[in-house]
Amino acid sequence: MNRVQRPSRLRLRAASLMLCAGFSAGALAHNPMCECKAVDAEQIKCTGGFSDGSGAPGVTLDVIGYDETILLPGKLGADSTVTFKKPAAEFYVLFDAGPGHVVEIDQADIEAP
Amino acid sequence: MSPSNRTAQPSALRRIWHKWRFHLNALLLLIPLGFMPKYFADAALFRGDVGLGEHEVGEIQVGPWSLRLAELRNEAPRLSGPAGYMKDFNAALCDACVEQVKATYLRIGKPRSLRAAGVIFFGTPYRMGAQLPVAEKTKADAELWITMEGWDGSMHQASIPLSQASPATLAWLNQQGAKP
Repeated sequence: MNRVQRPSRLRLRAASLMLCAGFSAGALAHNPMCECKAVDAEQIKCTGGFSDGSGAPGVTLDVIGYDETILLPGKLGADSTVTFKKPAAEFYVLFDAGPGHVVEIDQADIEAP
Repeated sequence: MSPSNRTAQPSALRRIWHKWRFHLNALLLLIPLGFMPKYFADAALFRGDVGLGEHEVGEIQVGPWSLRLAELRNEAPRLSGPAGYMKDFNAALCDACVEQVKATYLRIGKPRSLRAAGVIFFGTPYRMGAQLPVAEKTKADAELWITMEGWDGSMHQASIPLSQASPATLAWLNQQGAKP
């Protein structure tokens, strides 16, 4: 009787070990991420988030001129995106999730439609 | 031969298992010993027993303050998921400036403003850490900028060539080739 039970218990332990190893969450940092694309000739859409897959609704995303004036202050919407009209002056986009948690995107790095 | 005798015959696999299982257990105990040197080396590195990091950059003067900077690992940036390649740096503030410095930032290229000063160092001022994103299109002559912000509102900056801060990163960038 015992002989029959032992392997099954062993198999159960091996399976639980594999499950524990498979579902263990690694210690992952969550770095801020932002991507901007030109929707058309006039509009630019930026999407923010974090590298752990979480979104960034309500996080500040400002469009700033090269002279450091804030051209378009904004916040990401519920879908973690914001769309704005391309400014006439030279600019960069600053996704600002707090001090040291920023992503800068220069106008030259924004993909054309 | 009765049917009960036939079922009692163990299979070849079962015989091997029964013969060698204790040896296998001993082997399983020995395998971790092979990883011990790396484990203790990493523990010493993270605890600070072997200094700030694998590659000490040295003391860098930033206005009236200074800090010791080091690469945690003397290696190329590591891919950190969708956020791209990251490089870990450690730093220690000078004894006199521990009380005066509010925040220290690190960035490749000159920051446009304090808001965009780069990644922030976190942790104790005697051993802070920062994870610096390194774009694949970074130029070989790029500079690493350190921005320090004081509790009195003052801000000071200094830069060192990336080639000096992290020769391994430079070698990696050269290997990647200049990307547009």
